[in-house]
Amino acid sequence: MTERGFADVAIEAAHAFRVIMQAMARPGRVLDIGADVRAPAPLLPSAAAVALTLCDFQTPVWLSPQLDDERIVHYLRFHAGAPLVAEPQAAQFIFATSADLPPQLGLLQQGTHDYPDRSATLVIQVAGFVPGAVELSGPGIRGRESFGVVGLDGAFWMAMAENHARFPVGIDVIFAAPGQLAAVPRSTAIRMLESA
Amino acid sequence: MNAPAYNFAYLNEQTKRMIRRAILKAIAIPGYQAPFASREMPMPYGWGTGGVQVTASVLTPEDTLKVIDQGADDTTNAVSIRKFFVKTAGVATTEKTEEASVIQTRHRIPETPLTEDQILVFQVPIPEPLRFLEPRETETRTMHALEEYGVMHVKLYEDIAQYGEIATTYAYPARVAERYVFDPSPIPKFDNPKLDGCPALQLFGAGREKRIYAVPPYTRVKSLDFEDHPFEVQRWDQSCALCGTRESFLDEIVMDDHGTRMFVCSDTDFCAKTRGER
Ligand SMILES: [Zn+2]
Repeated sequence: MTERGFADVAIEAAHAFRVIMQAMARPGRVLDIGADVRAPAPLLPSAAAVALTLCDFQTPVWLSPQLDDERIVHYLRFHAGAPLVAEPQAAQFIFATSADLPPQLGLLQQGTHDYPDRSATLVIQVAGFVPGAVELSGPGIRGRESFGVVGLDGAFWMAMAENHARFPVGIDVIFAAPGQLAAVPRSTAIRMLESA
Repeated sequence: MNAPAYNFAYLNEQTKRMIRRAILKAIAIPGYQAPFASREMPMPYGWGTGGVQVTASVLTPEDTLKVIDQGADDTTNAVSIRKFFVKTAGVATTEKTEEASVIQTRHRIPETPLTEDQILVFQVPIPEPLRFLEPRETETRTMHALEEYGVMHVKLYEDIAQYGEIATTYAYPARVAERYVFDPSPIPKFDNPKLDGCPALQLFGAGREKRIYAVPPYTRVKSLDFEDHPFEVQRWDQSCALCGTRESFLDEIVMDDHGTRMFVCSDTDFCAKTRGER
């Protein structure tokens, strides 16, 4: 049987979107996501809330090997109607865990200089947040914000710094932890605080 | 059974998902005009259907909505939009800027400073700041892609040559986060400094032209100017005839058949607050 998604689609999607939007508008700020949503493990309810709020038949989705589970595939098809694609390069939304990210973020859809919005959004399931790995600055941030994600190391943040260097093209990243969300869009400058 | 005949906030979920995706990309690329598939709304285009669609896509039932038109809460346009969201989303409404969580506006930014807990949604008639210099969409898109903003500076400098100052007083172009030049909608240039470093998220919706753009909180918004002609806002010799403030944008109004005129705050809520009448 397929897990129920949102309790009340219109209301819970509105609640979830407000949190996703505020996370994207305030990079590095960790926000509680209170939406009433159920999802089949190992898909976190917070990541499921992002999928059910933003994905539909217009948005090709790629699932990383750890999430490419029959029940999750069925859940996303049933609740979002999203087409699943075999290659991350073909996806508008990529769902992965911190342990099995697509190998090269620069190969995901970057948008074009005429249409930089035609780019991928990467949703990474993580265990939690710990400040101190990187210092973020740019739009949405008053001064600087110390940020870090459990399980994501210097190599990941180097790739994110390269992603920012490609602005205005590039990808935008949403981190989904149990009950919490944070985001780092391409507009955010990244400075490493510790050596990897 | 009295089930409402429409979805929460009027738009169907698929439309909201599409608009929400555009809003997120607009936030991630500050000042860039993200296309979206604008829908028919039960009101004419001149009534801010772009702003209404953005508001419908960001509202939650717990929000308190304020709608202003040229600074006033009581115009036909503002009242209609407020009623629309009371009916379709069941949200609370207010005229007090500091009580609102979402503010939809046409042609003004409130005088009362905004906070992190607020979202400002602008109704935009013409989103492209380069349109009056270059009518072709493919060309303006390329100009933005290449950061070719020289023509805009030439236009402003021609003003200075002709009038001794930059003649543009509304929809004054500005650069967002040192990248995209954008049109802040037909707000007076008096309001441009409020865009800069604003703690609130600012979203812009153009219905007819099908564009959404954004200025995230605490983002640098620099009005275009020249070293020898720095950007300046409008100033008045008068103070507001009703509340006495010298800090707000003033409208000149005709009082009677004899042409008696006076200057009053355009932001009616701010004026009432300053008078201590609310
Ligand atoms: Zn006044």
